[in-house]
Amino acid sequence: MILDPILDLFRGKAVTIPPLDGALRPNTALEDADVITQCEAPDNLVSFAGKLFYSSGNKQFAVNSPKAVATFSSAITALAAASDGTLAVGLTAGRVEVCRKPVVSLGGFNCPVAMAFDGVDDLYICNGSTQHGPLSWATDLMQKNASGSLWHVSLATGERRCLANDLAFPYGLLIDKERIIVSESWRHRLVAIPRAGGALVPILSRIAGYPARLSPLKSGGYLLSLFAPRNRLIEFVLLEDDYRKAMLNGMDSRYWIAPALSASRSFLEPLQNGGVKTMGIHKPWSPSRSYGLVAELDDNFQPATSYHSRANGTRHGITSAIEQGNRIIASSKGGDVILSVTRNGEADLT
Amino acid sequence: MSAIIEMLKVTKAYRGVPAVREVDFVLNRGEIHALLGENGAGKSTLTKIMAGVVEASSGRMLYRGVDVHYASPFEALSDGIAMVFQETSLVPSMTVAQNIYLGKENFLNRLRGIYISAQQFLQSLNFTVDPTAPVATLGAAKRQMVEIARAVHHKAEVIIFDEPTASLTPEEKRHFFALMKRLKKTGVSIVFISHALEEALAHADRITILRDGELVATGPTSEFDRDKVVRAMVGRALSNEIYNTKRPQSQIRKRGAKVLSVQDISMGNTVRNNSFSIFEKQITGVFGLIGSGRTETFKIIAGIYKRDFRRGGDIELDGKPVRYNVPTEAVRDRIIYVTEDRKLEGFFETMSIAENFYSGLLAAGLEKSSVINFQEMRALSSEWSKRLNVRAINDNARVIELSGGNQQKVVIGKALIQKPRLVIFDEPTRGVDVGAIAEIHQFINKLADEGLAVVVISSYLPEIMNLSDRILVCRQGRIVEEITPIEATEQKIMYAAVH
Repeated sequence: MILDPILDLFRGKAVTIPPLDGALRPNTALEDADVITQCEAPDNLVSFAGKLFYSSGNKQFAVNSPKAVATFSSAITALAAASDGTLAVGLTAGRVEVCRKPVVSLGGFNCPVAMAFDGVDDLYICNGSTQHGPLSWATDLMQKNASGSLWHVSLATGERRCLANDLAFPYGLLIDKERIIVSESWRHRLVAIPRAGGALVPILSRIAGYPARLSPLKSGGYLLSLFAPRNRLIEFVLLEDDYRKAMLNGMDSRYWIAPALSASRSFLEPLQNGGVKTMGIHKPWSPSRSYGLVAELDDNFQPATSYHSRANGTRHGITSAIEQGNRIIASSKGGDVILSVTRNGEADLT
Repeated sequence: MSAIIEMLKVTKAYRGVPAVREVDFVLNRGEIHALLGENGAGKSTLTKIMAGVVEASSGRMLYRGVDVHYASPFEALSDGIAMVFQETSLVPSMTVAQNIYLGKENFLNRLRGIYISAQQFLQSLNFTVDPTAPVATLGAAKRQMVEIARAVHHKAEVIIFDEPTASLTPEEKRHFFALMKRLKKTGVSIVFISHALEEALAHADRITILRDGELVATGPTSEFDRDKVVRAMVGRALSNEIYNTKRPQSQIRKRGAKVLSVQDISMGNTVRNNSFSIFEKQITGVFGLIGSGRTETFKIIAGIYKRDFRRGGDIELDGKPVRYNVPTEAVRDRIIYVTEDRKLEGFFETMSIAENFYSGLLAAGLEKSSVINFQEMRALSSEWSKRLNVRAINDNARVIELSGGNQQKVVIGKALIQKPRLVIFDEPTRGVDVGAIAEIHQFINKLADEGLAVVVISSYLPEIMNLSDRILVCRQGRIVEEITPIEATEQKIMYAAVH
C-alpha cells in the first residue's frame, strides 16, 4: 500500500527472529555425537598435514593427544594453517604470530578472531573489534559496536591493507575464488568482499544465530558454526538503551541477559532454557541464551542441513567446525568438548 | 426390528439425468443407519426425498407402513421426519433460541421463557451454545449444533443428518455421537451421511452404500470394513492410495529454495508470534486442531486477515518484506489461498463453472482483453474441466448444482488459473468423497512435482501424513513442532498438537 512507509513509523519495530526450521530444523546430532577430547574451552580447529589441531587457552593441541604442541604467552584467539605447514596464531595480547623462521609478529590486531591463508604468503585477518578484546565479545555486542575490520597481510613484503571496515564482529573467514566471505556475528549474516576491497555483498542474511567460523567442505559447500542462538529477549534488550547501559555498568557480565556459550552454571544467571513453563507455554522471559549449532551450507551459501545441541543439551557454544573424512569435527567451547559427528547421519536431510 | 421407512424403486432425475436410480432403502425403528457414497452418488437426493425437500420422479415411499408423498419439508416434519442439512438452514438474524423454536412458537411468546427453556434444552444435549446469541455471530460448528438441537427439539421420529460432523471438533463429535446413541435409545431412527468412514463403521448399526445413484451394498456394519466400504463406494481399492501414511524416504521430496519466511507474526490472541518457512518443490503439511490458528495464519499471509498493526511480525517473500492489505496484492505476487469454506468463500454459486474459472483469471489480472472474452472463457473452462476431471452436464452448469468434490475441483481450478507459485490448500478434501480425494491428492502432488511451493492445512491426520514432505504442527496460535514424514506417527503429531 502506498501509505505503508508512513504507517511503518507507527507500527513500532518488530522484534523478529527467523525460525529454526527447514534445513535448520532442530535435532540432537551434536548431543548424540562422539566425544573426541574433553578439554577446557576448545576454540579454533585447524587442519594441516593430515592432522587436526585446536586451541584451548594459551595452548595449541593436536586432537587425540593430551600434550600441548605449543604454548603461547597469552590466550589463543584464532588459528590458521598454510599449505606448507606455516601456522598463524592470533593472541589476546593484540598481535598475530606467524610461526615460520624467523617468527613474524604482526601487532595492531587487538581482536584477531578469524584468519585464513591464501597460498603461503597471503594472510587474511578478521579483527573483531577495535574497542574490545576477544574475551569481551559480549560487551562489544551489548554496546552495539560495528568496529571490526578485514585485513590482508602479505607476509612476503610485510604490506598490510584494510579490505573492509565497520564490520559487526567478523568472526568467520573463508577464501572463495575471487572474493572473501566473512561472517558478521552481530548482524547475523555472511557477506562477500572482493579481494581487491570494495562494497560488501550480503550472501546469507537473517541467520537464526550468531555466526562464527566458516570452513569449506571437500564435496562442495561450507560449514558454518553458530556460537549462540538469537532470541526475542536479547533482541529486545538490544533495543532498550537505558536498560542495557545500566546492565553493563552495574552487573557482572556473566549474569547479563546476553548470548552465552554455556548455561546453568550458576543460580545467579537469568532463568533460561525454558526454565519457566506455565500452562504448557515456555515463558518468553526465560529463553535459552546458549545453543549448539553447526550448519552445512550449499554452494550458494544456503543452509542444506544442520547439527544441533538443543536448549536442554550441554554441547553449546560451537565456535569452529571442520570436515575430516566423512565426519564433522566441532569444538564446543561452552561444553568443553571436541565432538565428531557423522556427516548427513543423524541430521534431517529432507 | 420393523421398518419405519421403506423406499421402493425410487428414482429422481434432474433435467433427465438420474441422480438416484431405482434405489431400495429400508430404515428400521431405533437404528442408526449410515448412508455412504462418493459425492454425486445420490445420498443427499435420497434423503431429501425422505424429508420432502425434493419429490421422487418414480417409486414409492412407505412411512410406518403407509404410502406417503411429501410435497414440502414442513409436511415431513409434521409427520416426524426431520433433516439436518449440510448447509445450515438457520435464520442468521435470529437468536439461537428463536431458531430452535422456529415453527413451534405459541401464539404469544415470552422471549425470556424461550431463552430459559432453550438453555436447559441445549445443556441437556451437552452443547455449549449461548441461546441469546444471534446465529450470524456463531461459527460453523456451533451453527451445526443449533441445527441438530432444532431437529431433536421437534421430537422427530426419524432424523436425517447430512454430514453432521464435518465442522465439529473432536470433543464436539464425541458429544454428538453420544447424543445420537441417546436418541436411538429413545426409539428415534437416524440416517446419517458421512465421508468419515471410521465414524460410520464405529457408530452405525447398518450401512448402505450408493454409487452413481444406484444401490451397491447394504447390510449390518459387522459385515463391512474400511477396504470393503471404499471398494463399494468407488469400485476400486483406494485405501492405500489415499491413506498411505508410511512412505519411503525416496518418495519424500527434497526442499527447494525458501519462498516464504514468516517471522513472529501475531494477530490478537489467535496467532501469536508464529514463525516458519515455506520451501518450493515440496508439500508442507500443517496440522492443528480447530482453533489452533492455522487458518488465520495463512489467511494473514494471503492478505485476507491483517496482522497486528503494532509489532505484527514480518513476512518475507523471496527475502523481501511484504504486507498485503487485500488478497489481490497477494494474488498478484502469486500467493493463492484455497479456502476451507468453499460455499462461502470459494465460488460464485449462481454462476457457471466457466464463469467461475474466468473470475480466477480476472482476479489475477491475467485476462487477455479488458472486456470479457467469451471465447477465452470457454476455452479456459474446457481446458481446466478436463485437467481436473470436473464432472458436470456442461460448462454452463451452475456450481451450486455440482457435487462437493466437483465444487472443490472448481475452487482449485479457479485458484490454479492464477498461475501461483505458492498455493495454500485449507482442508482441500473436506466434504469430498473418497474418489475425488484421490484425484485432488494426485493433483496436489503434481503441483509440488512441478516445483510449486504447496501448503496443505488439514485436521485429518492420514491426509497430512500421506501428502506432506514436512509436517508443521500448530498449537495455540503458533507452529510448535516440525516433523518429517519418516518419523511422523499419528500419536506424535497429536501429542504436539495437544500438549
